[in-house]
Amino acid sequence: MEHSTRHRRRQLRQLTAALPFLAPWLIGFATLIAYPFIASLFWSFTSYDMLSPPEFVGVENYRRLAEEFVRGERFGLAVWNTVYFALVSVPLSIVLGVALAVMLSWNIRGRAVYRTLFFLPSVVPAVASSVLWLWLLDPQAGLVNYLLTGAGLSGPGWFNSTAEAAWPLAWFRGTWGFGSKDALVLMSLWGVGNFMIIYLAALGDVPVQLYEAAELDGAGPLRRFWHVTLPLLTPVIFFNLVMGLIHAVQAFTQVYIVSEGQGAPAGSTLMLSLYVFLAAFKYLEMGYASAIAWSMFVLIVLATWGLFRSSRYWVFDPSGARL
Amino acid sequence: MRRSSPPWFVAHGLLIAAASLFALPLVWMLLSSLKPAAELAADPHRVFPREWRPANYLDAVTTMPYFQYLLNSLVLCAGSVIGTLWSCSLAAYAFSRMRWPGRNAVFGLLIATMLLPWHVTMVPKFLLISELGLYNTLGALIAPTFLGDAFSIFLLRQFFLTIPEELSEAARLDGCTEWGIYWRIILPLSGPALATVALFQFVAAWNDFSGPLLYLNDPARFTLAYGLEQFVSSYSSQTNLLMAAAVLFTLPIVLLFLFAQRTFIRGIATSGLKG
Repeated sequence: MEHSTRHRRRQLRQLTAALPFLAPWLIGFATLIAYPFIASLFWSFTSYDMLSPPEFVGVENYRRLAEEFVRGERFGLAVWNTVYFALVSVPLSIVLGVALAVMLSWNIRGRAVYRTLFFLPSVVPAVASSVLWLWLLDPQAGLVNYLLTGAGLSGPGWFNSTAEAAWPLAWFRGTWGFGSKDALVLMSLWGVGNFMIIYLAALGDVPVQLYEAAELDGAGPLRRFWHVTLPLLTPVIFFNLVMGLIHAVQAFTQVYIVSEGQGAPAGSTLMLSLYVFLAAFKYLEMGYASAIAWSMFVLIVLATWGLFRSSRYWVFDPSGARL
Repeated sequence: MRRSSPPWFVAHGLLIAAASLFALPLVWMLLSSLKPAAELAADPHRVFPREWRPANYLDAVTTMPYFQYLLNSLVLCAGSVIGTLWSCSLAAYAFSRMRWPGRNAVFGLLIATMLLPWHVTMVPKFLLISELGLYNTLGALIAPTFLGDAFSIFLLRQFFLTIPEELSEAARLDGCTEWGIYWRIILPLSGPALATVALFQFVAAWNDFSGPLLYLNDPARFTLAYGLEQFVSSYSSQTNLLMAAAVLFTLPIVLLFLFAQRTFIRGIATSGLKG
């Protein structure tokens, strides 16, 4: 009895000592995260234009979203665009990031120079890189189409086109081409340096003995990559997959700029993040915007949960289960 | 031999090809920013300008209130670096160097907040900050940094954890308070980690577009990131000026990166690997 009182008193003392250190973050958490989190959930069940108080409307906002989704109208379009962008850009950035990191791990001169050049684009601010790529991918005057034409290919419409290069049905419909979302994917691949650095650091941690053992067993470079390097990279790939998806779903600045703030052309770059912004600050429908934001949150949670569930089948466990 | 590599000419060939693709857009931005408007319109694909026109830069900084924007950007960057270092080092200290009940659960909560899209909190946060009279001031963007952010707290905590506990123990035996340990022992030993956080925060504030888009209304308060976007919508036909403005906006960050490359790379590797 006396022991537990003393224990509790000590815990209380520890808490009062830690609280002043935590105070700034705790206040921020309460006012800028917890309160807005709950408020927007509540507002997603209301009609609210910021001028008059919110009015409870039940699931009306979600019903509207479901209707637009089924009809493939704005919300449906935004979900499709967001999913398309995330599912195309994230896997490609993993492949490219790993490839560049492996190239940088080769034992040759001038690695630091190459590394700097690969990494540099990822520090270019999103506003500047959007402006730059609008110019590079200009269908007539842009450098990219000029080079493609020079190579005997026809230059795509990029930001002026609604085409989707990764959508298989477009092949059969004869509408295949590179459009606005593919241009955004290209932009995101240019900034792959962040991911590359993480893979590079992970490659440096691979024990040399494993390569020596594999070589003694007669494994060539490709098999050493497939059976040694890649399994040991899977935890980092998993981390980048989760973070990459979360970032891709929230991509805003580049989307806003290349789409003239409205998802142009023809809603082909209307992503969920842009749609939330438009609903809130263009149409002043705070309740509806909150419902979109919460759908977006649910999408991220489901995707993250699915990835964590899948991880046991493909992410290497250092405790030795798969070696 | 650490690891097998292809023959040197294959390796360099591949690396040079890839590096050229990554560098080409930046080179093109620079070259386009130095051409006269007429030349760019008539012959956009010519590599080197017939007539070099550095005056584009002068035109770019005079057609938009560049120095006003620059000043606003620098105020925003300085304010948010100070705010982040202060609030996040305090919280990181509590999460790494102090024992208290519920610490792990609260830390889990902190990590979970990183998964929350900013769109979910956008509207209530906007109304709250406007209610405080901060709408259309840089304060709307600076004040939140004084209330901590999960990423920087996490990064600092990871570093604080590596400082031997014996140092704190010895200081406590000498009668040093937690504040004294934080200020005289942990912070002085955490230079590299603090530099990383400061650098990331500076870049984030410099690049921030959605913040000014939501909170700033008066052109006299715009930052460079937002000012450049405004410039794009009004001068979209004058590519040479646009590119000059983009170069001026990008250059400080590129120089900062070249100057502090190690700090950048260590920060990314730490936050990515020890997660």
